[in-house]
Amino acid sequence: MNNSRHGHNDKNVVIIGGGPAGLTAAYQLAKAGMTSVVVEKDGVLGGISRTINYKDYYFDIGGHRFFSKIGEVETLWKAVLADDLLRRKRLSRIYYNKKFFYYPLRTFNALFGLGVWKTILVIASYVRARLKPIKPEETFDQWVINRFGRRLFETFFKAYTEKVWGIPCHDIRAEWAAQRIKGLSLLIALKHAFLKSENNGSNRKDIVRTLIDEFYYPKLGPGMMWNTVAEIVKDRGSNIHVDSEVEGILWSGDRVEAIEVKDKGIRKTIPGTDFICSMPLRETIQRFKPALPLELQEAAGNLRYRDFLTVALIIKKRDIFPDQWIYVHDPDVRAGRIQNFKNWSPFMVPDPEATCLGLEYFCFEGDALWNTPDEALMEMAKKELVQLGFVASEDIADGVVVRMPKAYPVYDSASLDALKTIRLFLGRFKNFHVVGRNGQHKYNNQDHSMITAMKAVDNVLGAHHNLWTVNEEQEYQEEISPDMSRDTAWVQILTGPLAKMDKMAFAAATGIVAGMIIFLATILLVIKGGAVVGPTLALLGQYFVGYTVTVKGAFIGLAYGFILGFIFGWLFALSRNMMVAYAISRAKKTAEREKLKDFLDR
Amino acid sequence: MAQVRFPNGRKLWDPVLKLNIKFLALALGSVFGLGVFVATNWLVVKGYATPGKTRVIGSHLQLLSQYFIGYRVTFFGSLFGFGYGFVSGILCGGVLGWIYNKIVDLRHGG
Repeated sequence: MNNSRHGHNDKNVVIIGGGPAGLTAAYQLAKAGMTSVVVEKDGVLGGISRTINYKDYYFDIGGHRFFSKIGEVETLWKAVLADDLLRRKRLSRIYYNKKFFYYPLRTFNALFGLGVWKTILVIASYVRARLKPIKPEETFDQWVINRFGRRLFETFFKAYTEKVWGIPCHDIRAEWAAQRIKGLSLLIALKHAFLKSENNGSNRKDIVRTLIDEFYYPKLGPGMMWNTVAEIVKDRGSNIHVDSEVEGILWSGDRVEAIEVKDKGIRKTIPGTDFICSMPLRETIQRFKPALPLELQEAAGNLRYRDFLTVALIIKKRDIFPDQWIYVHDPDVRAGRIQNFKNWSPFMVPDPEATCLGLEYFCFEGDALWNTPDEALMEMAKKELVQLGFVASEDIADGVVVRMPKAYPVYDSASLDALKTIRLFLGRFKNFHVVGRNGQHKYNNQDHSMITAMKAVDNVLGAHHNLWTVNEEQEYQEEISPDMSRDTAWVQILTGPLAKMDKMAFAAATGIVAGMIIFLATILLVIKGGAVVGPTLALLGQYFVGYTVTVKGAFIGLAYGFILGFIFGWLFALSRNMMVAYAISRAKKTAEREKLKDFLDR
Repeated sequence: MAQVRFPNGRKLWDPVLKLNIKFLALALGSVFGLGVFVATNWLVVKGYATPGKTRVIGSHLQLLSQYFIGYRVTFFGSLFGFGYGFVSGILCGGVLGWIYNKIVDLRHGG
């Protein structure tokens, strides 16, 4: 390796994991004129963002929209894929009771889909939830019921959420859901409201459409992106080892010295000055040599993952449904989502008269579903597809099963505690950077994984980003704006006037000013004098008992003016605060609903 | 509204509203000034639109001249009135904002 070109000739970077994070790190290093060694356990690059090729039918594992609000990430996608990056219009709906439903729900769509009677029940249940919300909100089901009513929750959220996570909704703690929903920044809600009022909604519609309703997608799936990146980094002198499993991370003091790998059956040691690791965090901790203290081993053992398998079926039918994917909410069907790969990219299906559907089943590695033989899984998938009413069994020509372990890191209280312990320990290493979804045990989308890798490379080159928080900040930033300094100004402009008005202060100020006006008005007339002093102003005495246009009356008027002004000011501030609170609450609820869609997408 | 901070600990915004004295003064000045201007011209137009009426137009509003020297219920008077109203509004708004902000500082710390 020669890293002398850019003055980093002392650097020898080893990257563990050939998924989006690992390969982004290799790419960024290559861009900086440096080479690296990438070690990937699997025989295929791309991690969960790989693309499977089965008889020239390409399919994605889980469906990966290339959608990011992070400019650097989008630039990288475009630089690598150029014309092979398609722009697609998103369509993904809920499929329930053989009907399609948009999310967020559309009135007429829901009305026709559910029928009049059910719709009335849904509205009644919603009204009930709004009038009598469950307090406190401790679980996911309570959170959704309070916002949508029990009937909508049971129709559209319960079955799917339980399929995805494998636990009842009432066991999903609010703090877990909060990671995606309740953690929603108030500021994004305000920003939505701000944009709406600023642009009368029209421009905002465009923004939302651009950011959410459209996405990029490589012609031949996300694997195309990562295979191209791999070619680029190899061309620039880096080495990529597939089928190489990391068996040990050799450390001493506050440095990692080398890794031990089993490369296609041969054990070898790869030394390095810097290590970027996207291996699942649980395995990372377990691979440290010498072994880490029991406390850390136990913490690593508490990190859990949700796995899933895809049954891809080739169907001799030109069109089945127009969505890229659908959420299957029927509880008597085990499939959670169905991908229609042809709608992601028409290039993924070689025969225009055929369609390739991917039925996704969420499970835990090693459970009964995971261990079901492929033939049985395909039979189940075929049966469910027929049951859902999409195809007849004779339309299904072929199929294949792909198992994807550790697809989602599970956020429960045990893993959150474990993460704290592990983060504290890993913080001692200045040359070991953990990145990516499983590397950080975080709900990173592809773009988030990539940005952690970019920041890790910055650290290798001398920066001091805290990678554990950079993604949280990033998420925060993407909600607000990509520029922190601009945010400060923006936030102040936007939120300043929305701050609570101090009722007492405003009441006192109004009281003083009103009192002074009456006092000065009276005194002025008294000084001017005349036969009858201030006969018109004296009419105030009709309301202010004891008031006259005299010096004494001026003081009485001062007191009355103060009291009246105080009451007026207090009531004004109270109603103003209530209106602002209502506006914020409305904006937040709207944004929460939009965010829930994001929650379903994970 | 709870205090909100950036992830780096920086304060996002003050939880209690501070009034912008200049803007408040300007706003109240404009409202007062326009109030007197419109009220005066309303009576002027109304007076001319009622033929044969002999009594003085806007005898009550005319009393403003006790404070606003030179003010009359005429079109030119309305311009005077606007000026006086504007200045009075600026003073009221300025004092109101200043007192409010001082009390907020005292109660919540500046």
